[in-house]
Amino acid sequence: MATSKQPHKGPSTPNRMMLSRTLFLMIVCGVVAFIALGINLFYLQIVRHDEFETMAIEQQVRDTTVNAARGTIYDRNGKILAMSASVETVYISPWEIIQNDEDPELIATGLSEILGVDKDKILAMAAKTESWYQPVAYKVEADLAEQVREFKAENDLIGVKLQADTKRYYPYSSLASHVIGYVGFENTGLSGVELAYDSVLSGVNGRIIRATNAQGTDLLYTNFEDYYDAEDGSDVTLTIDANVQYYLEKHLQQAVSDYGVQNGAAGIVMDVNTGEILAMASLGNFDLNDYDAVSEEVQAQIDAAETEEEKAQILSDAQFLQWRNKALEDTYEPGSTFKIITLSMALDLGVTSLESSYYCGGSIQVTGDTTARNCWKTYGHGSQTLTQAVQHSCNVAFINLGLAVGAENFYKYAEAFGFFQDNEDSSAPLSGNTGIELQGEASSIWWSRDVFENPQNLSQLAAASFGQTFTITPLQLITAVSACVNGGKLMEPYVVKEVADANGDVISAASPTVKRQVISEETSDIVCQILEQVVSDSVEGTGKNAYVAGYHVGGKTGTSEKVAQEVAGGPKEYIVSFIGIAPMTDPQYAVLVLLDNPSSDSGTYVSGGNMAAPTVGNIFADILPALGVEAEYTAEEEQHTDKSVPNLSGLTVEEAAARLQEAGLSYRTIGTGSTITDQLPRAGAVIAANSEVILYLDAEPDPSLEEVPNLTGLSYSIARQRLAYQGLFISAARGIASDSNTVVVTTQSIEAGTQVEHGTVIEVALVDNDASMYGRY
Amino acid sequence: MEYSGARMTSHREDLRDIPLRGQIDLPFLMLVLLLLTIGVVMIFSASFARAYYDPTDETGGNAAYYFIRQLIFAGIGIGAMFVCAGLPVAFYRRMSRLLLIVSLALLVAVPIIGVRVGGARRWISLGFTTFQPSEITKIAVILYFATLICKFKDKMRTVRYGIVPFAAILGVIAVLLVLEPHLSATIIIFAIGAAMMFLGGVEKKWFIGGAVAMAIFVFIFVNFFPYASSRISTWLDPLNPEERSGDAYQIYQSLISVGSGGLSGLGLGQSRQKYLYLPEEHNDFIFAVVCEELGFIGAMLILCLFALLVIRGYWLALHCRDRYSFLVCAGITTMIALQVFLNVAVCTNLIPCTGISLPFFSYGGTALLIQLAEMGIVLSISRDIPARKE
Repeated sequence: MATSKQPHKGPSTPNRMMLSRTLFLMIVCGVVAFIALGINLFYLQIVRHDEFETMAIEQQVRDTTVNAARGTIYDRNGKILAMSASVETVYISPWEIIQNDEDPELIATGLSEILGVDKDKILAMAAKTESWYQPVAYKVEADLAEQVREFKAENDLIGVKLQADTKRYYPYSSLASHVIGYVGFENTGLSGVELAYDSVLSGVNGRIIRATNAQGTDLLYTNFEDYYDAEDGSDVTLTIDANVQYYLEKHLQQAVSDYGVQNGAAGIVMDVNTGEILAMASLGNFDLNDYDAVSEEVQAQIDAAETEEEKAQILSDAQFLQWRNKALEDTYEPGSTFKIITLSMALDLGVTSLESSYYCGGSIQVTGDTTARNCWKTYGHGSQTLTQAVQHSCNVAFINLGLAVGAENFYKYAEAFGFFQDNEDSSAPLSGNTGIELQGEASSIWWSRDVFENPQNLSQLAAASFGQTFTITPLQLITAVSACVNGGKLMEPYVVKEVADANGDVISAASPTVKRQVISEETSDIVCQILEQVVSDSVEGTGKNAYVAGYHVGGKTGTSEKVAQEVAGGPKEYIVSFIGIAPMTDPQYAVLVLLDNPSSDSGTYVSGGNMAAPTVGNIFADILPALGVEAEYTAEEEQHTDKSVPNLSGLTVEEAAARLQEAGLSYRTIGTGSTITDQLPRAGAVIAANSEVILYLDAEPDPSLEEVPNLTGLSYSIARQRLAYQGLFISAARGIASDSNTVVVTTQSIEAGTQVEHGTVIEVALVDNDASMYGRY
Repeated sequence: MEYSGARMTSHREDLRDIPLRGQIDLPFLMLVLLLLTIGVVMIFSASFARAYYDPTDETGGNAAYYFIRQLIFAGIGIGAMFVCAGLPVAFYRRMSRLLLIVSLALLVAVPIIGVRVGGARRWISLGFTTFQPSEITKIAVILYFATLICKFKDKMRTVRYGIVPFAAILGVIAVLLVLEPHLSATIIIFAIGAAMMFLGGVEKKWFIGGAVAMAIFVFIFVNFFPYASSRISTWLDPLNPEERSGDAYQIYQSLISVGSGGLSGLGLGQSRQKYLYLPEEHNDFIFAVVCEELGFIGAMLILCLFALLVIRGYWLALHCRDRYSFLVCAGITTMIALQVFLNVAVCTNLIPCTGISLPFFSYGGTALLIQLAEMGIVLSISRDIPARKE
């Protein structure tokens, strides 16, 4: 040892240099270094605290949204029109996959198998290791989500996650598609009630804010969690009746195919006393569950198109058309249906009465007209009562009514009927709409007061008298006509009846709102009386095709040329329409049907009376019984109404004959026995009155088949006889007003040429195709 | 003076002096025990999330695993400290060469029998625990350098005595540590060695020269070794979004912990960063958890305790009557100061990231044991300092 060499020298003490160097170290290591650390800490913890705290919260705190359940949409009878179902979003958290040493390959393979998502796509997502959220599949239905959950549990995967979401389902697919509307990917309403009531339906999403560890699970012992409850959306009950809507769409669809309607059709069914809309349809419509999809024909066109631009153009055009609610978003010149309004004005002002008479010589020229205006019947209607003038839809008579009303009064009433809102600027065009809660309602366009009320030029008044020179929406027309027949009250139209919260407590209930009394009750009664005559008079009524046996139906036809189309140089196009009201004894329901541009080669004359009126008649025939309006047949109708075949087997011929007479049917027998062993048609079948039921006496029906003949153009009785000859039977789609020769078959339920068994009943549609009634009215 | 006279008689008789020695320095002991207590508490707070959520074979999901082990070693360590305080300074002086030889042997053994953790072989397994031989090397360098300095005395000014032997020993150690590799231990041992030579009287020009050489070395290292240059770039821009989950992850998470603590912290036990965000939260980055939970106030308080410990250590050194005691006491104090400074500086990104543990705080049983034993040596030295005459 070093010291042992000098045992007596003793231990040396630190010298001065050592002490001073120690002092130096003490200051550097004990003071300066710590001051430096302290300053740096101050800078990080105090000066930059907010910045780091934000970063800390960003990575530690998870903000999870708790989706509020979107409310259900019901029809007026509680049928579900739109509902939300729970689905799940499957996503992966690449960050946690890495953190927990999970195998991306295994995850991608498993999820790809269950969800059908491309495996490489999932692997690409998993490669984004910075990310906590890479959605693999959205809106996964419960059964698949369960499979994912099992896969996750089996392999103990933290990086595979599921998140609750909801998906909107529309049980009736395309039914009332424009009214109900649809929701986008984020469950926000994009059209119809879904859009107009979005905030009501959607509720308020909840949030869970909590701190988690780096693996995304909760912290031990640390309760940092804020929970904001989700508030479920409210349920909305519509005034729409799904049955009525179904019949409206069914018959509109039938009309579109029967008459080759090119630009779609629109229809509205309204409760005239409340303004409730029972049905509103616009064709072509679309499936709410897949609102982007277009019809097969359009899809075929898209597939046939050559360039991508063309395909996209065809698709977007078709989507634009199918999403458009023609009943609300389009305006048109109503034409003769508007005569109801002119009639109401004139009656209410007292400038006409049931006793007044009008002469129509085929044309009339008013102040300001450069040429004479022709009536649709160019050789004139002659002398006619007011009722006849309406039955005939005589333009000359209505121009006279308009002139009697006067331009100022005409506008006063038009405004009162809700066709426009007044504008202080008399030189500005007038405009307005009903203000219904649905989005996208178009506004009417009327001439400015200066133009319309110019005493030197009555041509606008003359044209307006029969529904031209202005454009309105179908909804405006049916609302105004409802006022004409309900006792004179203009009602506010609405589609939402009630809003109830998630617990079923009613938050708000709509009640009928009377905007104003437009005409007197007495006037309204007379209008009703006249309108019924338009339909019920099987000789003079231009609306006779809307007749429904057993019901008092009234209404008015309309055929308007699309002026804008003509001005643009296109071919002549028409909108044919009919507005019907029933029952006229106590008006309850109005039905407006518009067919935009029917084909002139459909075999049916293009007019409201020949196309729209039968459609409205068909609609009434179905909806009135559905709405609980009882049919009451007159003795004459009773004769013409189809009969139900009784069960006759086991009876004697005499007994059967008595039964059949009671039922309004006749018979013939085959065979020689005394008791009936079989019958055609079967018991319960409904066939035309006076049809011959075939009774088999110890005999059997001929098992051979018969070919269905073409019945188009035949009258009902001729068609019946034609079929009876082959052992076939006939029934009418709805009752008929008369067995006049002009009432002919337009369509038949079983196509000509089809092989059928004996006793088959063929249903036919009948239209009064009186050539003397051909005209644009 | 009689007391010191007795010591002068014979080196051998030193052992008999034991009953005659004074009391251990109470302030220094209290500071050590205070820091140790806080450290063990912080181990519990910092480690339980990792122990619970990251159930390796080691912890088995027992949240208190690290805490209990640290507590046991702290107990053993306090015992070792008092044993060391009881041994005379001369004992350390006599054992110094042997200790250095043993530690060098262990360093040689490490690359052969060591346990590999991450990319480096720094640990030797004792079965129930592992330890880093470099911890022993540190104290061995202090003890043996002090011995050499006392031996060479004024010759320390010469190159032959003042530079060559020291440089040779440090060079051998450096080579062995680079083999592991263990950069941070190399830095600390070089710094300790330099401090010892500085105290021993080596001329200042050597330190200036050394500093210049070091600067050139660092410059080359940083510019030509991509591994080092990436460390520098993350040091300069630790919040770079592109590096946050890569190279800068540790320091980024550490800065979030420190910064989000604010003035008064989230409260003891309330750190959120320790929930697997912050790596090494109970080892090298435990001070970040301290900052997050106890805030600027708590962190400064602990730094003050360390500063007081360091100042008290130097104060004791200055009052040593014996040059060897003086050198050892100042050396150990410098080592503690260096470790505290480097650790806290890394946690707060004051210097580029390197793995240095915080004395009394960082998890590690044998390291804690050795640190407490070193405190025992200081306490032993303190006993030879005559009480101030009142």
